[in-house]
Amino acid sequence: MRLGFLVDLSRCMGCMACAVSCKAENNVPLHSWRLRVKYIDQGEFPDTKRHFVPLRCNHCENAPCERICPVSALHYLPNGIVNVDHDRCIGCASCMMACPYNAIYLDPLTNSADKCTYCAHRIEVGMMPACVVACPTHANIFGDLDDPESEISKYLQEHRDVMVRKPELNTKPKHFYVRGSTVALDPLASERPEGYTLFTEVKFLDHIGGH
Amino acid sequence: MLGAEVTFDVALPKVVWGWLVSTNMWAKSIATGTFLLGLYFIKKYPEQDSFFRKWVPILGIIFIGITLLVTVLDLHHMFRFWKIFAFAHFTSAVTLGAWVVSAFVIVLLISFWSWVTGNKKLFDRIMIPGFILAFFSTIYTAGIMGEATGREVWVFPSEMISMLLSAMIAGSAAYLIVDAVYGGVLKENVKRELGYILFGSAGLAAAMFIGELFFAKIHSEFAHRVVEVLAFGEVAPFFWGGMFLTFIIPMVLVGIANENRKYQYAFLGALSAIVGLWLIKHAWLIAPQTLPLS
Repeated sequence: MRLGFLVDLSRCMGCMACAVSCKAENNVPLHSWRLRVKYIDQGEFPDTKRHFVPLRCNHCENAPCERICPVSALHYLPNGIVNVDHDRCIGCASCMMACPYNAIYLDPLTNSADKCTYCAHRIEVGMMPACVVACPTHANIFGDLDDPESEISKYLQEHRDVMVRKPELNTKPKHFYVRGSTVALDPLASERPEGYTLFTEVKFLDHIGGH
Repeated sequence: MLGAEVTFDVALPKVVWGWLVSTNMWAKSIATGTFLLGLYFIKKYPEQDSFFRKWVPILGIIFIGITLLVTVLDLHHMFRFWKIFAFAHFTSAVTLGAWVVSAFVIVLLISFWSWVTGNKKLFDRIMIPGFILAFFSTIYTAGIMGEATGREVWVFPSEMISMLLSAMIAGSAAYLIVDAVYGGVLKENVKRELGYILFGSAGLAAAMFIGELFFAKIHSEFAHRVVEVLAFGEVAPFFWGGMFLTFIIPMVLVGIANENRKYQYAFLGALSAIVGLWLIKHAWLIAPQTLPLS
């Protein structure tokens, strides 16, 4: 079994239900996220378009975070999920440096690394990840990549525009996007203006210990 | 359709590895550089070996102590540090580094004991393992950076050589400073050779930095943007300050010192190199962390 994710970007409407359900399900603290939706505006009025891009851990088959973790706090589960053992983490942040997708954070309350685990605790009892359940347009498609009859496998077979983030790094992500674009998936393909943008007045939590 | 811009994003905080990690690399360069050069000078100038047999362990223990201190302080769970030995994951350069540095600490403690007791043979016996451990303690950080897939400038192929050159700069500069502070114990030929090592290492390191960052073909847009941040962006003062203080000023001053036999200039050049080395390590550490990865 190799669990994977696919996001049909043409279906995503940026409602953030996935991000909110993820926060609620996993008690993700303020200014940290396991899943967030980035907005990118393109064009000039009236010829404009807004892209919504849900971003989460890619659960790479060749995961740099797993390789660099000095204590195996980040480890593979048999179903392909890259999981985190919070009690083993020493908080060195090497995984944050290794992850090319900026998907790992140090939880300011536990001081341990954390990230999307595809809701491993829910999968274990036969439930879907919280973000999949919450999505009103079924943009998040989750399933077994090894099962040719799974919805995600069929989606991958039927679409020619399947993309992953930063394929050149050979991390072999198990998180796919269809009907996406370079603007949506390449962090350097869009401007990131300094200062005020939508909803940027966010609260930072101080870490309890460490630096 | 024209350009695109991010209008909503709550990216994770940018700089995670900060001045503590810069200090780690800086102090480690001094500890390993003084050890590697100390062995060389003990072998080459046996008549001057008492200076090096004293200062190899003292400088080594002080600066590897700083390295370990800032490493542990940088951990968000500093009291779980022991897990790196209990649950060692040997694909990680962090793990390998922790083990190698720990073994190097043992070598330094033995060399300190050898100096205290005047047992030269004891020190001689640990020279080869000490050399190997100091060498790998110097370069393992390049392994960590190589595994940091997300930060492209850290994974440049010459990183290990750059770290060895940093150790040579730091080691020679540290000995020049100690000698000047303690009233010029070293004979002139040793001072001159330390100056040449500082001059040559600084020159090579500067050439590598300039060549790799500005003249080499950079294959990714991300790496190109990091170079822009280094040279013209928010860390440019650190980078250019480091370039001048670590490479250019020491080369000029050591050149004057060796040419005119005025070794107070070498002392100033060495001080400049030690200060500049921290700046350039800091710039290099921070720059790739300033760019968005997602």
